[in-house]
Amino acid sequence: MRTGVFFCQTGDNRNLNIDAIAKYSANLPDVETVQILRLKPLPDLVFLREQIITHKLGRIVIAGDIPGYYKPVFTRAMAMAGGDTDEIHLASFQEHGAKGENAMDRAKAIVACATMGVPFPLAAIPGGNPVNHATLIIGGGIAGIQSALEIANAGKQVFLVEQTGTIGGHMAMFDKTFPTLDCAACILTPKMVSVGQHEMIRLLTRSKVVAVSGKPGSYRVKIRQSARFVDINACVACNQCAEVCPVRVKSEFDAGISLRKAIYIPFPQAVPNAYLVDEKSCSYILSEGKKCGVCVKKCPKECINLNEKDHITDIEVGNIILATGYELLDVSPIEQYGYGTFPNVLTSIEFERLTNASGTTGGRIVTKTKQFNRKLNKDEWVFSPEGVPPRSVALIHCVGSRNKKYNAYCSRVCCMYSLKFAHLIKEKVPNANVYEFYIDMRAFGKGYEEFAERIKQEGTFVVRGHSASVTMVDGQMAVRGEDIFNDRLVEFKVDIIVLAVGLIPSPGTEELSRMLGIQRDTDGWFSELDYNGSPTDTDRGGIFVAGMCQAPKDIPDTVAQASAVAAGVLGSLTSGKGIGHMSSVTLSEIEARAKTIHTI
Amino acid sequence: MFIDELDRFGAEDVQLCYQCGDCSTVCPHADEVYKFPRKSMRLLQMGLEQKLETTLEPWLCYYCGQCSEQCPRDADPGETMMSLRRWLISRYDFTGISRMFFKSRITEVLAIIAVALLTGAFLIYYGLSGGSISIYDGEGAFLPSTFIHRFDLTIGAILLVFLVLNAIHMWYLVMIKGTPFNVPWWLYLKELYQLPWHFFTQKRYADCEKKREHKVYMPWLLHLGLMLGYVTMLLLVMVFIEQLQAGPAILWRVHIFGYLASVGLIAGTIYFIRSRFKKHYIQYKKSHGTDWVFVTLLFIIVVTGIAQHVFHRTGLYEPANITYVIHLMSVVPWLLRMPFSKWAHLIYRPLAMYFSAVRREALMRQVSILNSYPVVVK
Repeated sequence: MRTGVFFCQTGDNRNLNIDAIAKYSANLPDVETVQILRLKPLPDLVFLREQIITHKLGRIVIAGDIPGYYKPVFTRAMAMAGGDTDEIHLASFQEHGAKGENAMDRAKAIVACATMGVPFPLAAIPGGNPVNHATLIIGGGIAGIQSALEIANAGKQVFLVEQTGTIGGHMAMFDKTFPTLDCAACILTPKMVSVGQHEMIRLLTRSKVVAVSGKPGSYRVKIRQSARFVDINACVACNQCAEVCPVRVKSEFDAGISLRKAIYIPFPQAVPNAYLVDEKSCSYILSEGKKCGVCVKKCPKECINLNEKDHITDIEVGNIILATGYELLDVSPIEQYGYGTFPNVLTSIEFERLTNASGTTGGRIVTKTKQFNRKLNKDEWVFSPEGVPPRSVALIHCVGSRNKKYNAYCSRVCCMYSLKFAHLIKEKVPNANVYEFYIDMRAFGKGYEEFAERIKQEGTFVVRGHSASVTMVDGQMAVRGEDIFNDRLVEFKVDIIVLAVGLIPSPGTEELSRMLGIQRDTDGWFSELDYNGSPTDTDRGGIFVAGMCQAPKDIPDTVAQASAVAAGVLGSLTSGKGIGHMSSVTLSEIEARAKTIHTI
Repeated sequence: MFIDELDRFGAEDVQLCYQCGDCSTVCPHADEVYKFPRKSMRLLQMGLEQKLETTLEPWLCYYCGQCSEQCPRDADPGETMMSLRRWLISRYDFTGISRMFFKSRITEVLAIIAVALLTGAFLIYYGLSGGSISIYDGEGAFLPSTFIHRFDLTIGAILLVFLVLNAIHMWYLVMIKGTPFNVPWWLYLKELYQLPWHFFTQKRYADCEKKREHKVYMPWLLHLGLMLGYVTMLLLVMVFIEQLQAGPAILWRVHIFGYLASVGLIAGTIYFIRSRFKKHYIQYKKSHGTDWVFVTLLFIIVVTGIAQHVFHRTGLYEPANITYVIHLMSVVPWLLRMPFSKWAHLIYRPLAMYFSAVRREALMRQVSILNSYPVVVK
């Protein structure tokens, strides 16, 4: 059939050289004419009709980033010329992902398929590699837990690798979730227990991926499992070891606002529900067996072995899911808020632990009290259950986010959790004044806007205007800000300041991206293959991203993405065609397959 | 577009501002009545030209640069306020010359050179027609002090006319067009002390430092020295030029003021030129063309003025006369340019402080009237 190829490319596509693609398509079989139309807004109808008649075209291929936009004109021209309007084929570069390194080859293949009248996805099927049916999930937060359960419930083997002593991640630290104010632990802990007890999930806590090799479908992964020093199966979490342990260090789970022992369980609902020893603070391990060791003698089950060594596990998996999560930006360089200088300036995660019912004050919101530290021989500011409730609290949004000096991007959850904090403070300390300083209120989800309205009606002073100044006069903190909607400068005396700190990728992200060959965006998050089309895939086959490690997102979005990832993994396991990746399919392969389909 | 026009005056990044209000929070001068820089940025973004020309906020800012340091968007509010000051000078000036100078550096430099050459030609013609180049003072002098006195007063009169007219225009814009409520006349008298107070102390400039830990704010001190030196020198030249030029013996009761003024001028100009080169303070990071012309011309005036004085006292009359001509060649364009250039802030700033105090008082009075007499309709 006589074919005409029309390039309708408005604007620039940096990856594509349209002239080169046009030259390539001129050599394709049956192609009579190739024309590059750079017409805005639409190609000329009469001109097209003449072209169709003069070249006696039976088929038209419209190539470009959005060829569908031009299709109506071509359809009318074809109809006017008396041709078959069904023979108008679109070669859409954007839709079929002609970008990145192989953009040119991909674009050529798209045009070639269209000239033959073969749908591109039919010809370009990646695959061929047999798939190992086991899956590795890196990160045991809510994303990793959700993916693991989805895949394991489908009857496939899952290895869940977690760096700390328990799964649960950041969500386990939260008290309530916005906007429904559900108890976070009530949602998370049943899932954690299922993971711990699932026969298809092998949980590797205190573990790190150290090396990955292989190709899509069969990755060999080397995992280094740090010694836990406690036998997981024997430990009954009786707490007798922690009672006798003399070492006290800041608790990571409590975001540093309370102390724990060197042998500890992160929180009572931890999975696996067993104690562990922190090798960085245990005096027995630090002195190489010369000091202490009382917990070993005390343990009734005799399950503590302080001489345990790290060991390496090698596993083979078919797919890898990255769910490494995030951490908080270090706020101490942002001097104007006085974090680290003034005792009652807290980060959001610290406040989250303070207000949590399982926290150090039992969920009471109090200011820090001065306490004498005998070891360091100086006064320290600590949270204690005897603390005084604050008379007023200031919540400052966008600390380090949307700021060209720190994070240029929006961290997406801060507005909502700050509103949640305002509600929790109003609930627990009813006569406290709460001031929210915000730039733009980003309440974007289902029920979020209503939640924001509700908080405003609860008596929170919502100040549209950021604050960049926290001062301390005679032990009383004052926050200065501009109330833009009411056109006045305000200064509030407050007892606690909560900073809604921006989020950054967790520290291992860079190392992992190098190990796996996954790209990261300019902000450091893992790059997905296509933000709209395939938000869970990466540019390597068989490797997926879920949750915060791709971009900041809230819990519902994280869970949704984690489930979507599970669908992708299970699809590759059950398709029977083997696993591969679009980028691994070459131009000649696609051409050959298209020809085969075409002849049929 | 108004925002594009302001770009020529130096406000390049206004579009980046997303109205967080960090700048107003850290500004030591922002208060309940005059809130800036955010509000000025907003007016600028919205293109409210007619509203902006009646505001006093740009004059209340002394550009300590804390807002620009703090700005999360790098929108540079400090520089925007500076640009607004330039724009306001061009707005107060009814001739349109100032606007031309601020927008085109070449026009400004060409105008200065033209005036300088005209002055030089006139002075040399006058000097050669009546005197000798080897006589500096007294009978048959190249440029006799009586002539210079008359010359100065003429220039001063032109300067004064422009300044007074511009100041009246400023008063009209600010107090009539920009003040929607009644301002009683006695408030002008009550707040009159503000004018000399701010003129001679520049107290608010020193307040720029109150949020930092420096004991003495160097820019303020040197700016004050420069300003006082300049005003003293202007006074000496306008009134006491005949005593100043008499010599070669040093007349201490007059010359001591000249020496003190010279110290202030030299220290100030060198400091500001150095800062504009080194860019170590945020307020010197971006220098508009007019800023460079300003400091360079002032530096030339000071150096030639001191040189002719030294030559005269050491008996080198010919070089003294030549440097004197060069000195006057730079002084005349400088003085004539004054109402159209940055130097006009010498007048506008204290006026703005005065007007702002009057307006604040009037506003307070207005508020109290509204509060105490509720309007009962029925």
